[in-house]
This record gives sequence, C-alpha cells and structure tokens, in this order.
Amino acid sequence: MTNLFNKTALDELGENKKTWQDKFDKSKKMENKSYQTLSGIPVKPLYTPADLPDMDVLQDLGFPGQAPFVRGVHPTMYRGRTWTMRQLAGYGPPEETNKRYKLLLDEGATGINGIFDYPTLRGYDSTDPVAQADCGRGGVAIDTLEDMRILFDGIPVEKVSSSLVTCQPICNITVQSMYFANAKNRGVDLNHLTGTSQNDFLMETCMATAPGVLPPFASFKLSCDAIEFCAKYAARWNPISFAGYNYRETGCRADQEIAFVIANAIACIDEMLSRGLDLDSFAPRLSFFLNGHNDFFEEIAKYRAARRIWCNIMQNRFKTKNPRSQTFRFHVQTAGVALTAQQPLNNIARAAYHALAAVMGGAQSVHIDGYDEGLCIPTELSAITALRSNQILQLETRVTQTIDPLGGSYFIESLTNQLEEKILNIIAEIDQLGGIVKATETGWIHNQVADASYEYQQAVDRGEIPVVGVNCHTMEDEVLPIELFKVPETLDIQAQKLARIKKERNKDEVQKAIADIARGCEKNENLMEIIIDAVQSFITEGEITDVLKSNYGVWDPPLF
Amino acid sequence: MQNKKRVLIARLGMDAHWRGSVVVARAIRDAGFEIIYLGNQTPEAIVEIAIEEDVDIIGLSTLSGNHLILAPKVIELLKTKKIDDKTVMIGGTIPPDDVPILKKAGVAGVFGPGSPLDKIVEFVAKS
Repeated sequence: MTNLFNKTALDELGENKKTWQDKFDKSKKMENKSYQTLSGIPVKPLYTPADLPDMDVLQDLGFPGQAPFVRGVHPTMYRGRTWTMRQLAGYGPPEETNKRYKLLLDEGATGINGIFDYPTLRGYDSTDPVAQADCGRGGVAIDTLEDMRILFDGIPVEKVSSSLVTCQPICNITVQSMYFANAKNRGVDLNHLTGTSQNDFLMETCMATAPGVLPPFASFKLSCDAIEFCAKYAARWNPISFAGYNYRETGCRADQEIAFVIANAIACIDEMLSRGLDLDSFAPRLSFFLNGHNDFFEEIAKYRAARRIWCNIMQNRFKTKNPRSQTFRFHVQTAGVALTAQQPLNNIARAAYHALAAVMGGAQSVHIDGYDEGLCIPTELSAITALRSNQILQLETRVTQTIDPLGGSYFIESLTNQLEEKILNIIAEIDQLGGIVKATETGWIHNQVADASYEYQQAVDRGEIPVVGVNCHTMEDEVLPIELFKVPETLDIQAQKLARIKKERNKDEVQKAIADIARGCEKNENLMEIIIDAVQSFITEGEITDVLKSNYGVWDPPLF
Repeated sequence: MQNKKRVLIARLGMDAHWRGSVVVARAIRDAGFEIIYLGNQTPEAIVEIAIEEDVDIIGLSTLSGNHLILAPKVIELLKTKKIDDKTVMIGGTIPPDDVPILKKAGVAGVFGPGSPLDKIVEFVAKS
C-alpha cells in the first residue's frame, strides 16, 4: 500500500498553506496562549495532509471489524447493533435497588449496571462496626446469597446482560460467585449468562483504596481466578473490565488511562498463560471500561488509539491470529469528576458531550451520568433524564448512520498517532519497572496518578482549565434547583436479615465453607471454584474476607 | 520546625475516593505546613492519632455520604476527651443543606466540591 498523498500534491499544499499561515500569524484577534490537549499534546489551529504524510490507510486504519480495528471492532458497528445503554444503579438494600433496575429496564435501558455499597466493595458485612456508617451508600448492600436473590428477583438473568461493578477483587470473588450461584439456583446454565464483572486489582490496591487492603499479589491472584473460572465455565461472561474510568477519576490523564489498562491486561494474560490456558480461550473476554472526559477530540482519539495499540500487542507480543482476541471492546461512563455541584443542570450538557465523543469513538456501551452526581447519587428523575440523553443521542442525532465518522480527519488521525506514541512510551516504562503489579507495589502508579491530579487541580485553580460555574460564570447565593437523593434505611434491614440468616443457616456447612476456602488459599487453588459452592451455605461476605485476609495479610498502599 | 502547624488528613469510614484528600494534603504541605496523612480511619482512630501526633488541625475527607454520621462523631470524641485546641475541617461531596448541620456540630470549615485549594490553605493558615 502506498501513501494517500503524493509529494507533488503535498508540496503544492504546503505553498498554499503558507499564505493562510501568514494571515493567521498576523491576525491580532488571537490570544497569546498555548494550546494543548488535556494530556499535553500541542494542538495546532489547522491540520492538513502534511500532518499525515505517511498515513497508510489499510495498514494504519483498516476497515471496521478488521485489524488494526481503528475504525471499529465490528464490521457493521451501530448499523448492526447500537451501543448498550447501561445506566449505573445501586443504593440502599437490595429490595430498593431491585426496583430501580426494573424501572430502568421498563424505560428502555438495555442492560443492568449494578454498583455496590462501600462495605460490599471492600469485603465487609453491613453490620461490621467500621462499615455501618457507609451501609447502603454509593451502591447496594450485599451480605449473603439471599441478598443476591432479592437483587435480581423477577429479572430474567438468562436474557438481560448484567454488569457487576465489583471493582475490587476481594469483593468480586464473593459477589460474582453469588451472582453465578443465584443463576444456578434459578436453573440457568452459567454458559448462558452474559455480563461483565469489574474485578480490577488496581482498584483495590491503588485507585479506590484504603489501609488494610489485600497486598497487590493477592488481589491480582483473585482477579485472575475469576478470569480462569469464566474461561472454563462461563464462556460468555467478561470476567474483568479494566477500570480506566476510575483511574481517570482518581486523577490520571488520557494517555495514562489507556497505558495502565493495557499494562494491567498484559499482566493478566501473562498470568493466564502461565496457568496453562490457551490465549484465545480467554483473551476475547477481556474488556475495558473507559472515561468520557472533557477534551472532546482527544477522547475520540483515545478510543481509536487504544484499539490500534491493543491489536498490535495481541498480534505481535502474544502472537494471536484470532481477530476476536485482538479487539479492544469497551464501555464508557461519562466523567464524574467533570460534573459540578454548582448549577447542576449544566451537567446534562456536559455529559451529553462526553457521550457523543464516546460514540464517535465507537464505544460498545455507554452510561451517562446523572446531573446531580456532584452532590449525591442520582434521584429517579436524574437517572431517567440521563437515560433519555442516551436515547436522544441514539435515536435523534443520526450519529449511528456512519461508522467512525471522524476517521480520516487530519486532526483526529494526527491526534490518534500522537496519543498512541505517548501511551506506548508509558507501557514500555511499566515493562521496565517489572510490570503493573511491581509498579503498584513500589507506589510508582500511585505517584503518577497523584502528580497528575495535583497538576490538574492547580491548573483549574489558576483558571487555565475553565470550569463553568466553578472558576468562571459563577452565581452568588445559588439556590439548588434540584431535589437531592436520600439513601433509604439500609442498616436495620440488612442487620435483621443477617441475624435471621445466621440463626437459620447450618453451622456445619458454614464451617466447612470456611475450611474449604482456607485450604484453597494454602494450596493456591482457584478460589472462585470453591467460593461459588461456599456461598450456598449463606456464609457472609465479611466471613469470606476474614479467611482471605488471614491467609494473605493486609497492605497499606503508599498514597502520600 | 516547632512552629509549623501540623495538619492531619484522614478519610472517613469506608469512603474509597482519595484524590481530593491527597491533592489537598499536597497543597497544604507545599504551603509549608506539616501533614500527617492517614488514609481511611474510624473517628476513634482519627482522634487518637490526632492527640498522639499533637496536630493543630484535623482535616476530614469523604465523598460517600457518611459525613453527617462520622464527622460529628469526631467532634464528640474530642469533647469527651476534653480536647479543645484542635480545629476540624471537612471536604468532599457535602450537599449545601448539610453545611449548617456540620457547622452547628462544631466543624469549623466545610469545603464542598469545587473549593479552590488556596481557600483551604488560607483556612489552615488562619486557624
């Protein structure tokens, strides 16, 4: 394949560009400031073919559904199937969240996206003295298999695809096991289940962390146990969703977001191969979760660059010929950090731009944030409005008609190339540090993210990054135009259920479950294979955590 | 060294977000104060360490919504122990309606979403 542009044409273009450049440079209308993307790539006022003199359309872009998948992972993209509208939901006891799931499905959501409360994500029972103040907050409380039964009661788990935002492996190993055990109890074959669990060790040890978490090696092991389990028994389940979204929320830049998810995925693949699994038995199920942030064009370039990098790594580093193992599939959530508590209705516009970029970038599924999320978890009105924004984007704007509509744009292609280079440099650096688990143990990742978030906040404070309603166009004595969500009573409900279950359950079965898990830890067996049976005894999440922590120890992440 | 104000920064309860607390801690440190960064802690541990480390200011951070339960608890424990030389401030997703409740409980500074770092540093300097 030859270049699109010949030298004569480029030369002629260059001469004409000079004429424009002279006028541009002499104009007095321009502010004297530096223009760059949020990750620091310089941005020119105009791009021309001269910015892509060597672009090889076949090699560098390919066609949708063809390597290197820059233009999309499916040949038909949104013509064949539009993105899944997967709105995040979860609060209070499972009885309440079950109602919200049903409401969203009734209103046209096409998948469930379930978030769990802080104690559940950290592996604690609702009634644990250190957890009580956070019970039911930020997500739904799950303590035993009975809660999982209630959460999905009346929802056809064999048909609806469910994303479980079990960010932390210590939570995932139990909660995904409960989801699977509940499906089994309802007579559903695990191989028929579709969905995703988040299950990202960086979430536990670096991004959403606290003192006394599992050490990185142990958290990573639990995460890999779920990947291995699904490769063997739940073929359509995505057992991990590398949570670049949260890395970004914690403060990193677009280039770091992609580099960290891919470095994480490389580590998982290495581990799976060392466990003797065939690459193509699990690689097609590795999925990604990305952030839709403010820099519109950089975000689009980010999604496209991620696809090319992943394809090249899978082809060249891991030598797979299977196209399904080469496709970077991802869910996007609009940036929570970009939302403001001030003038909250402005967030509807913000999130719509974020989602538009995600769709221009070929996302497989999209969640749009509620306008009130700078203040609280979404009210019913805010959740429905967010879903409607997603539906308006899909049904009214006609963006679904053409695949990769910005492909070939001199600017977008140039930005995609430059971002790719930055990302590859970070991945190489992590390789040199000994991989993502090592880079986490030493605190390197923590420092990188903290540095980036501090720089960002300082730029906001200096006014270099405008935030409408916060550092410009502010309103004095603003009265909130919205009702805020109140978390329903949760602790009492969970405490009563736990007391009843602990009285009624068979103590010998619970003891056996504990002994089985402890033995699995000692013998380094796959713990999901054990816990999926153990949860049938109504052992609590906190009881499982105790066994895991007493075997693996705890770790204080080097945050500051 | 002895004249340097000492500021403890802790995240309340199980809250998982550390970005705000670390960014604020860095800004306070860069302004010349001493930081004792705890990560997540219970109110009991926060008060105990605040006394042990002889800090002047206790900075609490939370985005989980637990602020109305755990921040007043910190104040209560300080009162029980008859400690009155420590200022308590809080930052995070604090809805406007909760600000007067926290202030009434004895939290001297409340910094909601969008608070500029220099305002927080200024508060520390003046306390």
